[in-house]
Amino acid sequence: MFYREAGQFKTNHKADQAIFPIFQDRVGLSMIVAVAFLVPMFGSDFFLNSIMIPFLIFSLAAIGLNILTGYCGQLSLGTGAFMGVGAYSCYKLVTIFPEVNILIHILLSGFFAAAVGCVFGLPSLRIKGLYLAITTLAAQFFLEWCFIRIRWLYNYNDSGAIEVPNSTLFGIGISGSQATPTARYYAVLAIVVLLTWIASNVIRGRIGRSWMMIRDMDIAAELMGIKPLNAKLSAFAMSSYYCGVAGALMVFMWLGAAEVESFNIDVSFQVLFMVIIGGLGSLIGCFMGAAFIWALPIIIRAFPGFIGLEIGAATVEHIASVVIGALIIAFLILEPHGFARLWQITKEKLRTWPFPYS
Amino acid sequence: MTAHDITLHAPDDGIAEGAELLRVDDVTLRFGGVTAIEDVSFNINKGEIRAIIGPNGAGKTSMLNVINGFYHPQEGTITFRGEKRRAMKTYEAAASGIARTFQNVALFTGMSTLDNIMSGRSLKMNKSFLAQMIYFGPARDEEIEHRRKVEEIIDFLEIAHIRRQPVGKLPYGLQKRVELGRALALEPDLLLLDEPMAGMNLEEKEDMSRFIIEVNETFGTTIALIEHDMGVVMDLADRVVVLDYGKKIADGAPAEVQANQAVIDAYLGVPH
Repeated sequence: MFYREAGQFKTNHKADQAIFPIFQDRVGLSMIVAVAFLVPMFGSDFFLNSIMIPFLIFSLAAIGLNILTGYCGQLSLGTGAFMGVGAYSCYKLVTIFPEVNILIHILLSGFFAAAVGCVFGLPSLRIKGLYLAITTLAAQFFLEWCFIRIRWLYNYNDSGAIEVPNSTLFGIGISGSQATPTARYYAVLAIVVLLTWIASNVIRGRIGRSWMMIRDMDIAAELMGIKPLNAKLSAFAMSSYYCGVAGALMVFMWLGAAEVESFNIDVSFQVLFMVIIGGLGSLIGCFMGAAFIWALPIIIRAFPGFIGLEIGAATVEHIASVVIGALIIAFLILEPHGFARLWQITKEKLRTWPFPYS
Repeated sequence: MTAHDITLHAPDDGIAEGAELLRVDDVTLRFGGVTAIEDVSFNINKGEIRAIIGPNGAGKTSMLNVINGFYHPQEGTITFRGEKRRAMKTYEAAASGIARTFQNVALFTGMSTLDNIMSGRSLKMNKSFLAQMIYFGPARDEEIEHRRKVEEIIDFLEIAHIRRQPVGKLPYGLQKRVELGRALALEPDLLLLDEPMAGMNLEEKEDMSRFIIEVNETFGTTIALIEHDMGVVMDLADRVVVLDYGKKIADGAPAEVQANQAVIDAYLGVPH
């Protein structure tokens, strides 16, 4: 009805190559971004701090993992550790260069994660599939060990935790205890929007295609002149960069302090679930998956109180786990390709509605 | 679009039409105790259509795999454009101008027809990672420049209607055509086709034959093809090499090969 591309003719390749060639898609995206920037005006601090900020951070981590798993086809269970590398290197950068702005440190810390990701990506040249997943699991445990044993990483403090100092941008606190959730939200949003835009650009170009070629048929990819080393390691590097930035954001813009438990295997699995439920090989799916896995439990836990039921906190917790588990199973049976596919089908249906065969 | 509007062509490698483009000398390929190819020598001349035939298990596909660097023969040499080479990575073969299609279609199933053919242009695209991150500017210009070439191929192969469809959902005949398009996007010097007509009906075979002849004549691409349909082979090929149990048993013009007693024995068997 309203979602039609009728009359929108493309007369050159430039227009046809656009990410959103359909006008309604562009309007929709602008509206979503506009709403995202207006959220702090309506949302409470709790809403920003417990839902929106972590949702954006996990979306970024999911984009990172999706680049590797969804686009390049290399399964990884080391996401949590790569996020940790970003967080700890950001902490060290802040310690060593305290005068440099925190946002620059956060963006730089991703490069350390990228370097570590490349090293642990090397086995992917020989090992595929589940076996590769096990080697990334080794990365997870090895790096966790480093975060505990290399005391230099947390400046030899006794707690073993990293703590965030206060820092400002244009005189407004954006991280540490002084920063308001609104300021932190805008910092996170800006970084996530920027990196999502970059990811979408890389994915639709030569490099993104080389990843998908490796994913779909690695032998044929080589015959088209793709070097597996370059394609796989660039995917590992970019993926780990995103995870590293997400890890740094997690500590500096959300948690305020972190120790090794913040980057354990549970985080890796959580991000993997987001990617699978959101849809492998889709950027919008990363956001949907993160919303589902992160926000839904909070809503379910709040639900009994909302309708006035008096249930103990522990019981609510258990019920939430059961409901979410059941929802995940039901959803994966109904749509194994995740929210992204569901979204795509909806759009296809809308285009031809009410004439299903036109 | 007619064939004359096509700007794609085989690279100018300085080798005259009819001169030797590729030579295989005494190649032997073994897998453990199994000898897949034994002491085979033949050549492919610039601009010709060279067929490789033989009964099942004769080593034809192995031969193509040796030529494009997927297998490394234990003995013998391959000379391409006058340069001798032995062990070569497949991506190096692609860079040197050898493209191929597969017996069982090996398309990138998750990508659209357009992206599959675009993937064949990867080697010719060289904008940096930074340019690709920004996209607007050099990376987009490059993308559009190659898109034009890809559109030529799409028009040539008459697959414009499936441009945006994921190739995994296409019927087999069209998949074969897309795969040919992807190989053509490399603008290869030598195109290796592994059973381009397997599993096709008569009409599809005729279409494919037409494309192969046009590629050979208008792009100037040298073609080596494996095929089981003898009618097609006899019509298309300039010269035919026959393998049986890894050995070369005949080599020559289609008519000569057809009359060769060894070939007839290999295909029909001999009384014991």
